[in-house]
Amino acid sequence: MSDPNAHVLEMRDVAVHFGGRGGLFGASGQVVKAVNGVDLTIGRGETVALVGESGCGKSTLSNTIVGLQAPVSGSIRVGGEEVVGADRRKLNDIRRHVQMIFQDPALSLDPRSTIGATVGEPLKVRGVAKGAALKQRVGELLTQVGLRAEHADRYPHQFSGGQRQRVVIARALALEPGLVICDEPVSALDVSVRAQILNLLVALQKRTGVSYLFVSHDLSVVRHICDRVVVMYLGRFVEIADRATFFDNPKHPYTRALMSAVPQADPVVQRGKERYVLSGELPSPANIPSGCAFHTRCPLATEICSQVRPELTPRDDGARVACHHA
Amino acid sequence: MSPSIRASGWSVEEMPVNGRIQAFRRRTARLPVSVMIFSTILALIVILAILAPYIAPFDPNKQALLARLKPPGFAYRGDTFWLGTDDLGRDLLTRTLYGAGVSLGVAVLSVVVSSLVGVSLGMLAGWFRGWTETIIMRIVDIVMSIPAILLAVLTVAVLGPGFLKLVLVLGLTRWPRYTRVAYAQTLQVANLPFIKASELSGAGAARILFHHILPNIAGPILVVATAEFGLMILMESGLSFLGLGIQPPSASWGSIMSIGRQYIERAWWIVLVPGACLFLLVFSVNVLGDWLRDQLDPRSRSR
Repeated sequence: MSDPNAHVLEMRDVAVHFGGRGGLFGASGQVVKAVNGVDLTIGRGETVALVGESGCGKSTLSNTIVGLQAPVSGSIRVGGEEVVGADRRKLNDIRRHVQMIFQDPALSLDPRSTIGATVGEPLKVRGVAKGAALKQRVGELLTQVGLRAEHADRYPHQFSGGQRQRVVIARALALEPGLVICDEPVSALDVSVRAQILNLLVALQKRTGVSYLFVSHDLSVVRHICDRVVVMYLGRFVEIADRATFFDNPKHPYTRALMSAVPQADPVVQRGKERYVLSGELPSPANIPSGCAFHTRCPLATEICSQVRPELTPRDDGARVACHHA
Repeated sequence: MSPSIRASGWSVEEMPVNGRIQAFRRRTARLPVSVMIFSTILALIVILAILAPYIAPFDPNKQALLARLKPPGFAYRGDTFWLGTDDLGRDLLTRTLYGAGVSLGVAVLSVVVSSLVGVSLGMLAGWFRGWTETIIMRIVDIVMSIPAILLAVLTVAVLGPGFLKLVLVLGLTRWPRYTRVAYAQTLQVANLPFIKASELSGAGAARILFHHILPNIAGPILVVATAEFGLMILMESGLSFLGLGIQPPSASWGSIMSIGRQYIERAWWIVLVPGACLFLLVFSVNVLGDWLRDQLDPRSRSR
């Protein structure tokens, strides 16, 4: 923490809210608290998974880190530089260090641009390379992700989903960023190519030292690739732990519910497994329950849970958990 | 489309013909037959319009009052009027040829003016949102709520008639349709992840609008433009009919038709000749527009 260069990302007490302001005709909506005071630090070469169900604020948080969404409070430092409050030019500089890989490769490539133009765009608009040098660099990037330099003249529709995701990865790595946010990078792909893409991400990390913030709700993928896991529920982190600790000894009741939802390949194990089924729906982020946000669905909930919000507290094995009872 | 292309391309290779013709056939074999036919018609109309002064058999304003409203093929004092005469005994073929240039010119230029204005405003509104959007789209609503012909009449009344003024009037009254389409399409495309990716790449608004949004919304805009093309010729005829467009004795297809309308029971050819030409022109433009829209989309281009 003392050396800012040791971390590619440092978030302090970040909150992102939507709505609430009165519109033109005085219609003031409810405030949706999508992200509510989160702290997260990602070191160089580290892969951190961010898991949680739909609507818990994962995507909002990733958009906030890259500066596409402004937080209402808190501090986000990418590569040691503050994103919050940065002007357009500054923000543009910072974005060199953080790039994004999107869920659906069919939508994240411009259908009217050749993939060479797409991969080369960050280099071109930032004046890093042009002409023959640009062409060569694009060729290198394509080779790096397992495509061929000749593919540069083709259009996205001429590639399969897995190949398109490789193109997206090449574009994200063009500027040699310190952090790449992977927003469900394999959930839109066929199971047969998921492993290829995950292995590619791991190989590229070894070669370039890039860090990943891996947004996912697929725990089997998370187990395969991540060093550390962060569980998010209704805009707050409820558990942060190293991979081994997390999978061997999940503590927060929400985490345990997520785990028990993952089917086991072995039917004997699957039948004998402790079932941990949650009741009810995810509450609306516009109307977050008092105290511990999870108490409405938690099997362990008691009186205190609806009154006092538990803070993230360290446990013996290094995990940090926000729960009164676990 | 592609199997027939390949088939005809293959048969061309088999034919022992002159090399240059072969090369030409190979290139044109990719085009669908309808496109070949209608591009030929369009080219023919353009060429005839340009060559009108040299190939027209008569002076467009020469009157022969004794040969008024005569049917096609009528011969009078050694002159043959192949497509008949109008109410002042002027040769209809000559006037249709001269009118082609005026009608084409008005239509092309006004489509260019209105699409440039309309598409840029629509893209700005869809990209920047906020106040830009509110102001532009409210102006669009206002302009669209005023009947276009009324607005054109007002503008001509202020500026006075004339070819370029007509273009300006049509261009400046017809842009809202492009704005609506460009705006809606921009809103849709701007939310796709590849635009977000471009922003992250460091691309500015100008680059995103021209390199990523415009190519992706060009198809629907082209469809609007081809539909507007025909409408422009009709608007021109309407304004000319009211005496606000092309001034007599100059001919345009619209003005010929509006004169012919009065005599349609006695002399149907006056309306039919420019009308048929107009139909062919608009139809060709529409067919080519549809084809061009498909060509703009790399997904439909075979490689």
